[in-house]
Amino acid sequence: MTDDFNAKWEASRRRVLAGMGAVGASLIASNAFAQADGPWATPPKSKVDRLNFVVWTYGDIYTKIAKRFQDDWGVPVDSTISSFNDHPPKLAAMYAAGEKIDVSQSSPFSFPNFVAQGLVEPLDDLPGAKEYAADFTAFTKQVATVNGKLMGLPYFATSWVWNYYSEMLEKLKIDKPMSSYDELIEHCVKAKKDGVSRYPILWIAGVGLEQLPGTWYQMTWNKGGTFFDKQGNHMLGAGSIARETLKWWANTFEKGLDIADPESLKVQFTSGAKAFGAGKNLYRGPSHHYGLNICNDPAQSPIAGKVKVLGSPGDGKTIADAHVYFITTANRNKEWAWKLLQYLGGKTKDGQYSQAISLAKDAMLGSGYQSVMNSDAIKTGWAPWGDVPEILKIWDKSAYIGEVCSSIYQPWHFPWTDQLNIEVQKCLTGQITADACCDNLIKGIADAKRKV
Amino acid sequence: MSAGTFAFVMNVPTLICLALVLAYPVVYAGYLSVHRVGLGQLRSGNFAFNGWDNYSRLLEDPLFWTAVKNTLLFTVVTVTSEIVLAVAIALLINQTSVWTSRVTRFLILLPYAIPPIANGLIWTFLYSFQFGFLNRILFSLGVISDPVNWAGNPDTALYAVAVPYIWRTLPFAIILVHAALQGIPRELYEQAAIDGANAWHRFTRITLPMLRQIIAIILVLRTAFAFTVFEEILAITQGGPGDATWVAAWYSYKITFAPPNNFGMGAASSYVLAAMIGVMAWVYMRFVFRRVTL
Repeated sequence: MTDDFNAKWEASRRRVLAGMGAVGASLIASNAFAQADGPWATPPKSKVDRLNFVVWTYGDIYTKIAKRFQDDWGVPVDSTISSFNDHPPKLAAMYAAGEKIDVSQSSPFSFPNFVAQGLVEPLDDLPGAKEYAADFTAFTKQVATVNGKLMGLPYFATSWVWNYYSEMLEKLKIDKPMSSYDELIEHCVKAKKDGVSRYPILWIAGVGLEQLPGTWYQMTWNKGGTFFDKQGNHMLGAGSIARETLKWWANTFEKGLDIADPESLKVQFTSGAKAFGAGKNLYRGPSHHYGLNICNDPAQSPIAGKVKVLGSPGDGKTIADAHVYFITTANRNKEWAWKLLQYLGGKTKDGQYSQAISLAKDAMLGSGYQSVMNSDAIKTGWAPWGDVPEILKIWDKSAYIGEVCSSIYQPWHFPWTDQLNIEVQKCLTGQITADACCDNLIKGIADAKRKV
Repeated sequence: MSAGTFAFVMNVPTLICLALVLAYPVVYAGYLSVHRVGLGQLRSGNFAFNGWDNYSRLLEDPLFWTAVKNTLLFTVVTVTSEIVLAVAIALLINQTSVWTSRVTRFLILLPYAIPPIANGLIWTFLYSFQFGFLNRILFSLGVISDPVNWAGNPDTALYAVAVPYIWRTLPFAIILVHAALQGIPRELYEQAAIDGANAWHRFTRITLPMLRQIIAIILVLRTAFAFTVFEEILAITQGGPGDATWVAAWYSYKITFAPPNNFGMGAASSYVLAAMIGVMAWVYMRFVFRRVTL
């Protein structure tokens, strides 16, 4: 009986140990980058009644993360949510009015300005900050680190890609998508001539910081040019790649080949993806990669599944950027604001990059963390909408937008971008030539500096 | 207590409210306009005095003058259209013998109840180049053979913003004209009819002269409001394409609320805009209102 009992106990012990081993292994496997006992899991010593964040809208991610924060830490989180374009004015108004703002977010274009104006708290001395920074992708490092100090954690990262409508290409009996700008024109002219598409190309040329400017930056960079050199001198003079690119671009509009969709001048990244999903265009010009999750979503697009991703012509060079979350200097408690910031741009209490992973799975957004970019969250999360290896291949050829247009680090970049939007739209609508546009922009640099 | 003192005392609460709600922000904006004010300074309250620098930078900015030019054109188009349409529609709904005019009188007020930003968004859908209702209707009627890029073409964009603006604000002018029409004694029309005056003569010799005062008031009010048009611009064109719809209020907004958040220059541009409205109001009062009330 004793032997029996011992044998049973031994077997049971083995089963328990084996079971524990299996649980442990599966935990390690599922939480490849999760460490539940890190600083993210340590409760702050101080107390707060509530916290808040001021962000721009994206589905219901903020409702979910606020609830999760309250469930984990017992602190309610108020959210102020506006549209992407209205976010900087909203944040500015709240800050100027003396309101408490714990955490907010920024595009890479506004961020240097917010830092310069004293809105952003440095993060270097906070627990776990160095570990986060060590996991940043190259773009994220360039955005989140200002003057050598860590100022933010990543919201998402994106790379500029081309899209094409495969069924329309088949209808045109063209066996493969364009691989050069000449081929692009050739395909579009044929599509128009054959009556397959009145406006074969949709550009992202709506007014914005990285919409219309981003399209010009991307094509200029792809053709080997930049907007400013390392010393900050403009590269827009006669014969410059930026100027020649603009000439080529403007020629696709009404006064030239008339192959560009006039809606181009109004669309932003998501509205552009929705418009492309209507199936009226053959190509969609370089734009944020995650537009595919709209074009290839059957609920939003009649041509879902037929929109393919494509790298840029030539050597495939493209641009990328990352958006960030940050703690504002108007926070009510830095320790708790850091805790909240991590829920948005870092790890949750369980040591997971929960927000980054769900953004990848739900919205096809890229992450500012290398470990997330290398994980299954991207490989399986993005798969329903696009060719993941192809996108990651494009990703590897991406340079941060600041390398193409280094003025984004300067406070005068904003007023200059206002002028850039105006002048380039005038050029694309045939009101002025590309030469006049670039000359005006060169002159505008000094004007923009005076406005700051 | 004398009647004058009593009236003064009764007005004190209103004066205090107006001082707090209107005068203080106006004076404070004037103070900001002569200081160097960014976000950080506004929060801390420490501003460096910079005299007329904001004003001189503003007046040197070609974009500001483009915005002023667009604002003037927008104002002329919208105010003129509103007055003509308001008189015409008010005359129609004033026909009490026609029962539909009572229904129309109610329906005509509906656009006034639409929030300006919602109005702009509705018209954005109407104007959509490939999918908008406007192009579809015109195409179905055979008026156009190719879609028109109403809000995206620099030649039509400002008018594309003016139409929704007129649509939204016209009821206000109609109500005023309609009220004035009801104050015209019917005997005047009866006597004119006996004298053999036709409809056109009755309109030009009786109605229009009797409407002059209210038209002058509408001119002043609508001009002031048109000068500050913002919501439709924000929703439909955001100043584009190019600078085709940059108006004065959009300029002030961008200067103030887009980084680098130059609140001082934004306040200065608002003051210049207010001064322009003041001058226009003075011109109306001096040359139109006085003439019609004397």
